[in-house]
Amino acid sequence: MDVVIQIIASGLTLGAMYAVATIGLSLVYGSLNMLNMAHGAILTLGGYICYAAIVHAGLNPALALLAAALVCALVGLLIYFCAALPLLRAENFETNIFIATIGIGSVIENLMLKGFGPYPIPQPLAAGGQVVICNVHIPLQNVFILGVAIVLMVAVAILLQRTSTGRAIRATSMNREAAQLMGVRVGRVYAQVLALSGALAAVSGIMISSIATLTPVMGGDPMLKAFIVCVVAGLGNVYGAVIAAIALGLLEAATQYVLGVRWSFATLLLLVILVLIWRPYGLFGKQQVVRL
Amino acid sequence: MAEAALEIVDASAGYAGRIVLDAIKLSARKGELTAIVGPNGHGKSTLLKAISGLVPVTSGEIRLDGQRIDRLRPDQIVERGVIQVPQGDLLFPAMTVHENLLMGAYANSGGLAERLDFVFALLPKLKERRNQTAGTLSGGERRMCGIGRGLMAGGAVLMLDEPSLGLAPIVIEHIYEVIFNLRREGRTILLVEENAERIAEHADMIHLLDNGRIAWSGLGAELMARPEIIETYLGV
Repeated sequence: MDVVIQIIASGLTLGAMYAVATIGLSLVYGSLNMLNMAHGAILTLGGYICYAAIVHAGLNPALALLAAALVCALVGLLIYFCAALPLLRAENFETNIFIATIGIGSVIENLMLKGFGPYPIPQPLAAGGQVVICNVHIPLQNVFILGVAIVLMVAVAILLQRTSTGRAIRATSMNREAAQLMGVRVGRVYAQVLALSGALAAVSGIMISSIATLTPVMGGDPMLKAFIVCVVAGLGNVYGAVIAAIALGLLEAATQYVLGVRWSFATLLLLVILVLIWRPYGLFGKQQVVRL
Repeated sequence: MAEAALEIVDASAGYAGRIVLDAIKLSARKGELTAIVGPNGHGKSTLLKAISGLVPVTSGEIRLDGQRIDRLRPDQIVERGVIQVPQGDLLFPAMTVHENLLMGAYANSGGLAERLDFVFALLPKLKERRNQTAGTLSGGERRMCGIGRGLMAGGAVLMLDEPSLGLAPIVIEHIYEVIFNLRREGRTILLVEENAERIAEHADMIHLLDNGRIAWSGLGAELMARPEIIETYLGV
């Protein structure tokens, strides 16, 4: 029983981090048909901004988190205005933006390498202590991560379901032309979605670095897993992505316990292959094929 | 004669260098039903898309109440009151009927409750289905939802692109009853329809669009009295 509780606690923490990392990616794909390959670098940038805000600027943790989210939202906006907007006017947007964001990600990573060095740095925004549930000791940081992730997911759900802006985002992702005919300014929606995605990536980066360490390349692994979650859920399906993220987090935690850490990623990849064979459009996705 | 709400003056438009509409000249007068008929693939839907700003106008002008709108973005054109109910509805399938109607009022949310009441009174089926997702509606209900969504915008000109397309005769009859009622209430309607006979009696003016050009314009009764035009252009 203790083992099961331990696996569930670890799995939910992993799933929550993946979910926050994936929501932004999924929103961007759903609205713009854009695979943002700079997502991992933005996520890392969020972690570093938070670190710098606390250690160098002396801000309190809440303000540091806010600063990281704001900076990464601005990076999202910059990606829209400097890369997505010009490329949207040309043909082959999906392929071109895919390549462009690989370049942007690389630039951000190298800037972080230059600014903070290659060595791992501990994230100062981390809660100490632990809670005991049925004789199982769970780090308070994991509970904190789960709480923040739930708050963010509920906030995003409220934004998408209950506000005019959220309806415009959903409408644009369902049918761009119809949204335009309703008076939605789709360019503004794209900018909003990329900014929101950047802010969510920042929080995700802070969460991940708080249980690991900060390095300039730390975003690669979570971005890959976020893509896996997106593919399993169906590209662009935000709610499916949250469910898939939690399920994959639990699977990863169980695999790590039963087979060992080195098997967890292989298991996830095997799952993706099986899902793609069974349902090429993902568990919650629509039947369509997008070629890059 | 009523004043023109929408004027298209020698407008040409097309996609990627291919001209689809060639020097179109027509107007939709206030409170009237203006119909555009013509064979498939000859530019009827492109004309509505050009008016809505989805297809660029390469020359000529499109004016609403005397003000040029052909250089505006689609959202600005909607804000000025030119509303299109596109062919095949283009509903938001994962949204409920109610959410789809709210999207109709996205650009103009004043008096939302009154407009919703008006739409539900005109199309009572939508009230019954308000919490159902649009993707699960029948073809006729989807078309009703599309028209209701267009009415939610409360615009000055309502453009309908082939509202009868693919529907059963009894549903078509009901859809046109709604459209003709709107005409009687004094709405300005620009209607694209393939079947001229269906609208001849109610349309204030009919324009025949052939190969991207206006081939004939006149009253419905005049068109019905010209079987050679109907046979040549509309294949009836």
